[in-house]
Amino acid sequence: MTSHAIRLTDVCFRWRKEIPPVIEIPRLSIRAGEKVLLRGPSGSGKTTLLNLLGGVTIPERGKIETLDTDWVALSAAQRDRFRADNVGFIFQMFNLIPYLSLVENVLLPCRFSVGRRNAAMRKSPDIAREASRLLTHMQLDVDTLHGRPVNELSTGQQQRVAAARALIGSPSIIIADEPTSALDADARYIFLDLLFREIEQAEATLVFVSHDAALSKLFDRTVELEELNNGVTK
Amino acid sequence: MTPIISLSHRSLLNRRGTVSLTVLAIALSVMMVLGVERLRHDAKASFANTISGTDLIVGARGGTIQLLLYAVFRIGNATNNVSWKSYRDIAARPGVAWTVPLSLGDSHKGFRVMGTTADYFRHYRYGRKQNLAFTAGAPFKNIFDTVLGADAARYLGYKLGDDIVVAHGLGQVGFLRHDDKPFKVTGILKKTGTPVDRTVHVSLAGIEAIHIDWRSGSRIPGMAVDAEALREGSLQPKAITAFLVGTTTRFGAFHLQRAINEYPREPLLATLPGVALQELWDLMGTAETALRAISVFVVVAGLLGMLTMLLSSLNERRREIAILRSVGARPIHVFGLFSLEAGLISLAGALVGLIFLYLGLIIARPIIDAQYGLLLSIGPPSLRDMVLLGLVVSAGILVGMVPAYRAYRHSLADGMIIRL
Ligand SMILES: Nc1ncnc2c1ncn2[C@@H]1O[C@H](COP(=O)(O)OP(=O)(O)O)[C@@H](O)[C@H]1O
Ligand SMILES: [Mg+2]
Repeated sequence: MTSHAIRLTDVCFRWRKEIPPVIEIPRLSIRAGEKVLLRGPSGSGKTTLLNLLGGVTIPERGKIETLDTDWVALSAAQRDRFRADNVGFIFQMFNLIPYLSLVENVLLPCRFSVGRRNAAMRKSPDIAREASRLLTHMQLDVDTLHGRPVNELSTGQQQRVAAARALIGSPSIIIADEPTSALDADARYIFLDLLFREIEQAEATLVFVSHDAALSKLFDRTVELEELNNGVTK
Repeated sequence: MTPIISLSHRSLLNRRGTVSLTVLAIALSVMMVLGVERLRHDAKASFANTISGTDLIVGARGGTIQLLLYAVFRIGNATNNVSWKSYRDIAARPGVAWTVPLSLGDSHKGFRVMGTTADYFRHYRYGRKQNLAFTAGAPFKNIFDTVLGADAARYLGYKLGDDIVVAHGLGQVGFLRHDDKPFKVTGILKKTGTPVDRTVHVSLAGIEAIHIDWRSGSRIPGMAVDAEALREGSLQPKAITAFLVGTTTRFGAFHLQRAINEYPREPLLATLPGVALQELWDLMGTAETALRAISVFVVVAGLLGMLTMLLSSLNERRREIAILRSVGARPIHVFGLFSLEAGLISLAGALVGLIFLYLGLIIARPIIDAQYGLLLSIGPPSLRDMVLLGLVVSAGILVGMVPAYRAYRHSLADGMIIRL
């Protein structure tokens, strides 16, 4: 066992054969439990890199190891399973499924991953209570919000629900793609504060994308994508 | 697939507006298919049941189907008559068990009037060789007695003892009315589900009587005959329209048929009712096929409606797909979700369609019965119905695979991180 949660070696990725690679990264490693801010201007390939880290897309060359497993070596089905068990995602906005309730949205990963379901049950008597516990930690009042359609929640509230969902069943890696860019400054700090507390408690690794340099000081490390990446972006 | 089962119905409920319209479209098409199928089946059964126990139908030479139509279904007219002499001659042949003469051409308030003899009530049979039965009264005895079919009596509101006036010709209300010679209702028949129900039966002599002072369809002035005087005189018809024959043996029927078709003194046509019925039904086969084809197209249209709905919702659901992928759903789950939704919609459509069918049957039954004398069956769904429903649901699932596959492709192409 190394202490690396994520390690990239000589990774090259392009969206289409005829265009130059968007990502060309000789080396990047993130330690387990580290909270990393991935920064870069719009269009610099941040989302593309997250796709690679989460095994959503596969590079044309190189190795992407998470928890010592190389995504490239896995089959599509194995990647799906490995991802469901080990990676939690938070997106910029519209994270929730409109026809599911607050708690059901949080429980989604437990539907698809036995590992995360079992992990959730180790923390609480049942998964629904674990979902409520996480939502409460995210300062959401489950009892008052429960009957409401999730798309009536404020964006800040929706992002915290998404965070609870990413955290349920304690995945080792949390990948967040600009989850705070749609929030105002206050909501942004509340969100980060709550997210960090839970991640520290779970000892998870966080890769967090933002173009907001002001957030740097909150993270263990900031990676400037443009300095790291030799790929061609506009 | 278990993770997506509850998702699919939640997702459908979430879009209940468009989903219920789609279900409605499929339900209507299913109702149409099942309804047409039932109508066809019942019509065929009732059709085959119109006449039984008669071995030959005889009329003037012409088409078999035409003969069947006017002699049995009371539709259209004979181009020629059968002379009374020929009729008597054939009736007297060995091997003939019974004959019933029929004289058509008049109407009463839109119902066909048929002259015949009391033998008609003894020998005419329908369905599974059932005899005609009376709800009231008895066969006619006098010239101006009349026996009404069940629908004619009910529709016209006649009771025993009522007087009716027969019109000359076949119009809804004949403009030449034989109103100097009223008939009296002496019998009302039980419902048979055949054209007998819509027939006004009178004696052959009665038909003669109303025509005695009429020649070629118009009244000859100064030739009025007193109805009372007619009762006395013997009214022998010179011709009849057709007659039914019962033979002593089955083989005798074929033999007699040939003899009648080769009858030297008059061009006649004898047909076996079963053969003529089949011929007529085959003739309607094209219409039947067309009707079936139309109802199949209606189902296809209903399913295309579903396809359109699912495909058009696909774009707005790309995000939903991405979210599901991010929480661990595999592309096959996405495929399953969309297929399941299509399957549930078609299943709901099929079930609602079945309910519509029975509601429709309850509403349409009395109307179709009154209008066409066809009593539709309200039995439980037949095996054939079940097969049809199964086909619709399977076709629905198949159709659902198109958007499911598209969603599957999206889920692979977009990954879970969609760009806004
Ligand atoms: N699905 C895709 N297909 C083709 N090109 C893409 C796709 N996603 C992103 N790109 C391209 O890759 C580059 C990096 O995009 P992205 O990773 O979204 O940047 P960021 O997240 O930093 O704004 C851009 O030039 C973008 O146009
Ligand atoms: Mg991005």
